[in-house]
Amino acid sequence: MKTPKRSDEPIWWALFSAGGVCFAVLLPALMLVLGILWPLGLVSPPWLSYAGVSALLHTAYGVPALLVTAAVICLPLFHAAHRIHHGLHDLQCGYRQASKLLCYGLALLLSLLALALVLAI
Amino acid sequence: MTEYQLRIQRYDPEQDDTPRLQRYTVSGDHTTSVLDALLSLQQQQDPTLALRWSCRMAICGSCGVMVNGIPKLGCKTFLRDYNGVIDIAPLAHFAVEKDLIVDMTPFLAHLSAIQPYLINDKDDKAPHKQTPAQLAKYQQFSNCINCGLCYAACPQFGLNPEFLGPAAITLAQRYNLDSRDNGKASRMSQLNGNNGAWGCTFVGSCSEVCPKQLDPAAAVNQAKVESAKDFIINLFKI
Repeated sequence: MKTPKRSDEPIWWALFSAGGVCFAVLLPALMLVLGILWPLGLVSPPWLSYAGVSALLHTAYGVPALLVTAAVICLPLFHAAHRIHHGLHDLQCGYRQASKLLCYGLALLLSLLALALVLAI
Repeated sequence: MTEYQLRIQRYDPEQDDTPRLQRYTVSGDHTTSVLDALLSLQQQQDPTLALRWSCRMAICGSCGVMVNGIPKLGCKTFLRDYNGVIDIAPLAHFAVEKDLIVDMTPFLAHLSAIQPYLINDKDDKAPHKQTPAQLAKYQQFSNCINCGLCYAACPQFGLNPEFLGPAAITLAQRYNLDSRDNGKASRMSQLNGNNGAWGCTFVGSCSEVCPKQLDPAAAVNQAKVESAKDFIINLFKI
């Protein structure tokens, strides 16, 4: 058997794995606090005001805010893109390269948009 | 004795255009395995029924068939666990040679592609000693009986017959993890491709059907980690 071409899958798999960890560890807590407890008025931390969040965003030149955005938005986007790409392969829809470009391209675009919005504030 | 209804997929490529289902009734008790039933059918009712078998004790791995759509070893599956008509068909994802006999050639080619033997350049006659801890690293993956059930269960192998598949990747891990072996570099080139470890999407059905519980899905995921490490190391090798 001849030597096969090296796959570029490790890149996407690494992003998928990192995204999966962020998804599982960070998002349930965030959804609980920001999506349920806060709107119901069960918690009202002082930093969840415009001034508080704005101050957090500008802490240490905005680097922590960018890291949080990467962990909470960008990596989970790549995680979801990877699942959709392989889901399409399982359903035998979409050509491998086309669905790859579409899924990871969209994840990259939305990631850059999220980071740009954080920088713009 | 209980009467069991069997519906067996029959196909003789020299005579039939398409496979057909044939119904049989066999009598058995709580110890009757699917293989026992098939052999009694062949000996007492229909000598034209073709099946592959050898040891009757889940060691040879040759009596794999689909029982109600799930890959099973005929000798390790018992009629008592089924109700109603039991469907028996050849292993999925392989070409049928006749009735329940499939062509295992692609499977064997994938196994041999990963060089499933100890590769060691050292030319010494001394025995290669191994500690219990070194043995434990690969022992679980060394129990494969090459029955091919994991290939019949794997949807990725069904979609892409070029995918190396669970058993071959498990066997690659078995030798890569062996302290007496230093052939990992030559095996990684097979695992690194799209048809190597990366052809797997972690469905996990291989581990569910494995009659030896050696968890091929875990081996494939370990191979992915190894391949990812190999990818990064390769970036710095120019």
